[in-house]
Amino acid sequence: MALVLSRISSRFDDQRTKEVSVLKDITFSVPAGSFVSIIGPSGAGKSTLMRVILGLMPQTSGDIVRNFKRPAMVFQNYALFPWLTALDNVAFGLRMDGMSRQEREHIAREKLREVGLEHLEKHYPAALSGGQRQRVGLARALAISPDLLIMDEPFSNLDTITAEALKTDLLKIWRSYGMTILMVNHLIPDAIELSDQIIVMGAHPGRIEKIIPIDLTRPRDVRGVQFFKEVDRLTEDIRRMLP
Amino acid sequence: MIRSVSHPQSREWRRAHLERHRRMWIIMAIVIGIAVAFGLSGYFNGVDWATLVDAVVRTTYRIAIAYGIALALGVSIALLVGWSPFADILFPFFDILQNLPSFALFPLFIYFLGFTDQMIILFAVSSIIWPILFAVLTAIKSAHKDLSDAATIFGARGFRRIRYYLAPLSFPSILTGSIVGIAIGWEAVIGAEIIANISGFGAFIKNVDTSGISSAEVAGALGILVIVFVVNRLVWAPLLADSARRYAE
Repeated sequence: MALVLSRISSRFDDQRTKEVSVLKDITFSVPAGSFVSIIGPSGAGKSTLMRVILGLMPQTSGDIVRNFKRPAMVFQNYALFPWLTALDNVAFGLRMDGMSRQEREHIAREKLREVGLEHLEKHYPAALSGGQRQRVGLARALAISPDLLIMDEPFSNLDTITAEALKTDLLKIWRSYGMTILMVNHLIPDAIELSDQIIVMGAHPGRIEKIIPIDLTRPRDVRGVQFFKEVDRLTEDIRRMLP
Repeated sequence: MIRSVSHPQSREWRRAHLERHRRMWIIMAIVIGIAVAFGLSGYFNGVDWATLVDAVVRTTYRIAIAYGIALALGVSIALLVGWSPFADILFPFFDILQNLPSFALFPLFIYFLGFTDQMIILFAVSSIIWPILFAVLTAIKSAHKDLSDAATIFGARGFRRIRYYLAPLSFPSILTGSIVGIAIGWEAVIGAEIIANISGFGAFIKNVDTSGISSAEVAGALGILVIVFVVNRLVWAPLLADSARRYAE
């Protein structure tokens, strides 16, 4: 298992309502090399859960077993450093590792090529479209050779065509790298298309409603009858689960 | 493959930038025109140019030194405080300090440093430092959480966080803080020179004529306007343009 969470709860103090419970008794595990999606309504604490997993904020109670050495993250709002070019953004993690300029730029160029942006290496994030920024974010994550990639709603700010193209690339990258991917998503068809397992979360407080394995064979035919049946079944399940 | 697109605001931004640039040159042309007109009319005939130039140079020198010290101190303190877990505790403390009127502390500076160049410079530092310090602290505090998380996840931890994340993040705020700080610095230095009667533009305008505006004062004011304009055009304008280009959302 790449990640095991056992009864994770997280609370924070709010001046008005004193104490707010964001996550309650979250328990699940993520097999190494698998693609797991987390879906749930706003307020389910999905992003908080990602930050707890990465150790960016502490849990109030519960245990996390982190069997990964190098995590990386792709953000909903890209979170690219505006003062760095696309190339330098991708090379940022390598620079922090103390890698020489020549070596890190070589790797960064390779990653930009993988996401189809080698011609934009000198552009600053402000000069890139949303899809291009997200690809730079993905290249930045891949550059540090992560064994766990966390993606927080990576397609939600993108148009349909760009999101589709990025999804295709993401699946290729996942297969070739063999890393574990944990992705927060809000679209059920996307989650079914990409994932081995879907974790459905409820809100107020954030909790796990159900963990659903997706047994469709890969590559998945998103126009096939089986796929649509799975989307219908899951949509109905989730509708019953969530108010 | 996704096609490269230009920044959506770039055309409008360039147009606005050129318009600002043009306006600044027009204002400067008017100032120079007024100076030339005064000169041709013989208004400046009685001005002691050597003394005036010496006074303006002394004041400008003090501003430059004070700004350098305030920049180094203000940015260093703000980055260290922003990097530490005590930023929220220290912010109100700095807020109280910056609200103390600088000139209320002037006697203390005279008491400890006497009527010296160092006194004026350090007094100016105490005025210039606050806009810089607060601009940087505010930039750090208001940075998007995702950006801070990205820096942490990709390894900008410990002191490297200051160099590779907090310092570049604060660059636009250092510029705006500097521009405001220097404007306050001119007031502080000239005011201090007037009060302490220490050679410089402040003392010059105090001594040339106490009965009203003199031609020497007008010449000095025009000279300072030219210095401010040249610094703005040669230093701040290119840096602001670069910052707007790189840091645009």
